[in-house]
Amino acid sequence: MNLRRTFAFTRRALLQFRHDRRTLAFVLMMPLLMILIFGYTFGGDVTNVKVTVVNNDEGLPAGASPLLPDGIKLAEHITNSLNDETLAIEHSANIVKSKQRVDKGEIWAVIYYPKNFTENFFQSLSNASGSFNSSVEIYLDGSNPTISSAIMKTVNQAVMETLGELSDDINVTSTELPISFNTTYAYGGSDVEFIDYFAPGVISFAIMMVTTMITIILFVNERRTGTLQRLLASPANEAEIVIGYALAFAVIGICQSIVILVAAMLIFNITIIGNVFLALLVVMLLAVGHQGLGILLSAWAKNELQAVQFIPLIIFPSVLLAGLFWPVESIPKFLQPLSYFIPLRYGIDASRSVMLRGWGVGEIWVDLVILIAFAALTLTGSMLLLKRRK
Amino acid sequence: MLAVTTKKLTKRFGRIVALNELDLNIKEGEIYGLIGPNGSGKTTAIKILCGLLRQTYGSISVLGKNTLSKEVLNKIGYMPQETAIYLDNTVHENLQFFGEIYGMSKEHLERREQEMLKFVDLLDWRNALVSTLSGGMKHRVSLACALIHEPHLIFLDEPTVGVDPELRDTFWKYFRKLIENGVTVVITTHYMDEANNCSRVGFLRQGKLIAEGEPGVLQKSAGAKSLEDTFLVLSRGKKA
Repeated sequence: MNLRRTFAFTRRALLQFRHDRRTLAFVLMMPLLMILIFGYTFGGDVTNVKVTVVNNDEGLPAGASPLLPDGIKLAEHITNSLNDETLAIEHSANIVKSKQRVDKGEIWAVIYYPKNFTENFFQSLSNASGSFNSSVEIYLDGSNPTISSAIMKTVNQAVMETLGELSDDINVTSTELPISFNTTYAYGGSDVEFIDYFAPGVISFAIMMVTTMITIILFVNERRTGTLQRLLASPANEAEIVIGYALAFAVIGICQSIVILVAAMLIFNITIIGNVFLALLVVMLLAVGHQGLGILLSAWAKNELQAVQFIPLIIFPSVLLAGLFWPVESIPKFLQPLSYFIPLRYGIDASRSVMLRGWGVGEIWVDLVILIAFAALTLTGSMLLLKRRK
Repeated sequence: MLAVTTKKLTKRFGRIVALNELDLNIKEGEIYGLIGPNGSGKTTAIKILCGLLRQTYGSISVLGKNTLSKEVLNKIGYMPQETAIYLDNTVHENLQFFGEIYGMSKEHLERREQEMLKFVDLLDWRNALVSTLSGGMKHRVSLACALIHEPHLIFLDEPTVGVDPELRDTFWKYFRKLIENGVTVVITTHYMDEANNCSRVGFLRQGKLIAEGEPGVLQKSAGAKSLEDTFLVLSRGKKA
């Protein structure tokens, strides 16, 4: 092996970066961006989960028990012990309205203590019957298993903590104490697995990634090979070109979704309770919007190599901030507002709501409007970009 | 009748003057060659005449119209410098696509596709993927795509660049056949020897038309041995 020749290759490759500043910046900045995004978002604890506490517990009348302190309200103790980083707690007196908020997806759960919560607890102790009459009622949106388990874990910890404190006074171990959980589900249930939650996200993500990348490469090629010039010298106008391609990508998006859905149903036995066609509409809108984005981005790429550089720039923030793997609630608070600017978030949100909660247009209309606005914006931008006679 | 006229056609890119008050009068049914070295403004002129660029000032008239409406664009064919066809589609699919964007009916397109495949001698390659064809064949497909909709006027931007001498000769035979059918051909080239095939030529230098006329007449009046010498004589004359 001739070292001089070997080093000649090394030198040539390194010198290339001197002339391509953009690639140099990409090479140096990308790892930094990746460590920041992954570091902040990967595996973080779920925080800021919106729940409502409806506390009707009237407590224990003074002097009713020699074991428990006068006027004690157990529910208040438990609520005060709830981890306020994990849960963003609101209080309400109206159980019906609070449950409706869970149904509408405005909050994740209602934690409800009935009127005689403390009294039942005391009676169970006095009777020593072992029957568990005190029950924390939880009305839960079970469509997101990560959030459901975070809520259940937090409530359980708070109960244990409260009972732990009381066990010194009443001289029994906390494990024997008579408090149970009665969980009912607005959507999903204990049988919802991570794959059920994950599948709608994967569909949206696959469509976003494939559509954006193929469109960038396709339009870089259209420019580089001269076909775009030929099209712009024909009677075809910019709208026909952009919408023509958009329809093609909508069809591709739907085909991809069907492949993923069928595979997920047959192999992983996922649960779909909503209207699959509505989920496909969501995916189609996502595909059309990202096709427009691809055309816009193609203007900044002179060749396929530069087009590929967009992958991490678009894909990573979308994957990490849009709630694909982790709920948006598990992202650090200062990064959470960024997720509102990522269209994938709305695609995932809408398709999950349709497939897991069985929601219709009436419930997901905000997501649909945002996706339509995104598609309209990127497609209009693409048409302006292709505008001939510059 | 004139197929193309330009008056004081000027195009600036920042400080660079690509075209400098160009006056052209191209007659119907002729092969008009825009001849000049690289950077003389040939491609810029063609792009303005096809509607791909907007002039800084000056006016154009194409097929008797001052604006490039859909009606006018339907009668124009354009073959860019690059092959400009879809490599991942077959010859047939390319011809069909370009025919459709010019609004051709199915029957018209089928008939015309056969004519074009025969014209460029690719009848046996109809279903071949373009990426599998030789460079020369790709050029012929590109020409067929530019002619599929039976244009009245065709702009060919350096169609013979990178083409071997045999195919160049074939191409000029195609172009002559086109004018026999009444098509006006506007062609750019920097190969001076090719200019002899044109009905008339316009010599471009630094965005200005320095001479225009029949190749033989221009050569004679300049007292030059070849068209290349003619360009050099006229170019120096203008320079002086």
